[in-house]
Amino acid sequence: MTNALIDFVLVSVALLAIGIYGLSVKRNAIRMLFAVEMIVNSANLNLVAFARFIPNSQGQTLALFSIAIAAAEVAVGLALVIVAYRMYNNIDIADFRSLKG
Amino acid sequence: MIDFTSTPIILTMMLGSVGVIIPVISVARKEKGSSLYGGIAFAALISAISFVGYQIVSKHVTPAAIFSKNVLVDDTFGSFFAIAMLIVAIMTTVGSFNYMRGKTSPAVYYSLILLSSIGMVLIAYSTDLVMLFVAWELMSIPTYVLAGFAKKDPSSNEAALKYFLFGALSSGIIIYGISIAYGITGSTNIGQVIAGFSKLGPDMTPLALLAVAMFIAGFGFKIGLVPFHMWLPDTYEGAPPTISALLAAGTKKAGFAAALRVIIMGAIALDLNWAFALAIIAIVTMTVGNLAAIMQKNLPRMLAYSSIGHAGYILIGLSIAPFSQIGIQASLFHILNHAVMKASAFIAVAGIITTLSVSHIDKIRGLGKRMPITSLGLVISLLALAGVPPLNGFWSKLMLFGAAINAGSVMSWAPYLAVAGVLNSALSLAYYGWIIRKMYFEEGESEKRVKEPKSVIAVMIFSIIFIVGIGVYPDPFIEFAKSAVPALTNVTTMH
Repeated sequence: MTNALIDFVLVSVALLAIGIYGLSVKRNAIRMLFAVEMIVNSANLNLVAFARFIPNSQGQTLALFSIAIAAAEVAVGLALVIVAYRMYNNIDIADFRSLKG
Repeated sequence: MIDFTSTPIILTMMLGSVGVIIPVISVARKEKGSSLYGGIAFAALISAISFVGYQIVSKHVTPAAIFSKNVLVDDTFGSFFAIAMLIVAIMTTVGSFNYMRGKTSPAVYYSLILLSSIGMVLIAYSTDLVMLFVAWELMSIPTYVLAGFAKKDPSSNEAALKYFLFGALSSGIIIYGISIAYGITGSTNIGQVIAGFSKLGPDMTPLALLAVAMFIAGFGFKIGLVPFHMWLPDTYEGAPPTISALLAAGTKKAGFAAALRVIIMGAIALDLNWAFALAIIAIVTMTVGNLAAIMQKNLPRMLAYSSIGHAGYILIGLSIAPFSQIGIQASLFHILNHAVMKASAFIAVAGIITTLSVSHIDKIRGLGKRMPITSLGLVISLLALAGVPPLNGFWSKLMLFGAAINAGSVMSWAPYLAVAGVLNSALSLAYYGWIIRKMYFEEGESEKRVKEPKSVIAVMIFSIIFIVGIGVYPDPFIEFAKSAVPALTNVTTMH
């Protein structure tokens, strides 16, 4: 059987790892937003794959909710990035250092 | 089947409809002015909290249940958190009247506070991971906007960006944890997930442990547990101070509600050694929070670190939950107390920042003469945070540490939690006392009394009455906290 559950889970774990790598290493705000999206989508892939193999529909329902919520979340995040760009002409997180201590 | 008369549904409809209507009114209305929207939001929150109170008094809520077949359960646990969150939301709303005067888009501000408080309340009522996740995001997304609400202020924007990135990471981790829990148990209902956890074979147990670890990490970001706390001081310092009150007192406590519903049950069902891990996190959290707070020179930042320390105290009760009857009760009582104390401290600071535009600790010399009522409110809140008798913080800390000592008969490490807590409380008195000394015992540049904002005075009077009142007569609230503790016995017997 070609599309076994483990294949989906492996792809999802890889996406999660890439997402966490991107969030911790990259300093560009847009890249970090993408990294967050990858983490959420790895979980969505997991949910849909599990829902197919369990089988019931709760996982797919949650995946739908999660896609909608992630869209709202990224809209807020992009708005914050745009405000930051207007202020600094730059979206490098490392340059935002007014708060320290 | 949805019961449309249950508390969470009615609260959602009440607060949600008002939260949506406020911006509509602001579009239709020509003249500017923020007090109308604040008034509407205040009225909605007051009617919401009276409704919860009525439901509790008239015994419409069921006793604290951990599990339910439904998505939401109308129990005393949820009602307890609903009361705490709505008190915080009311204090934030009233405290913002003065802060928002002359600022842009006040309607959106109050509407977002209402929407976020719906999320906080629903977290406490939810018994399904789907509902929990949706409520978690409903709580978080408005607070990202609120933290960056001062659009022209670079530090507010920086605070919001940091908060957003860590918040988005935390919700990503939570949903990944949910997906694993769903994958191994085949359900998103919290009760069925935990029943499934306790029946797992040895080959699947590591995955369940991974799911619980992801929940701890995800909720830990919002709560401010120590490996996940790095965003918190920056955000609380940079965000508008009234919003810091909402974050420190509201969203953090909602994180504890979620943790109690999910982590504690899951951890108990899986392996009692989790309690030890939580105990270590508790000690590290309170020590790091208090040690870092000593070195701070900025009031909101100091309060932010102190709120990390208090997350550690609350975690004591959670970590001894399997061995002690009063562990969770003490935690719940401290959650309610800390919500009021921290909110009132932040709103006092907000009052100081808006009237004098200072937040540095050296600039508040002689404040006791310049702003007497705000200073008195701040001092009472700080002393209560330090746990000085006879204020409310003393009783909840006494219960927490007493529970830890009593649990020593079952678990040998539990009394060390009490020792760490007492030492930390003594340590915290140092920096709280420092603020008090600056305000009352040092000469300021000016002794002229300034006009204190009325809304801040109102919040201060409420919080002084609340803090001293509970301190003098704590029994009803201890009973209320006791009634909100879910019965853990049917989880521990699952082994």
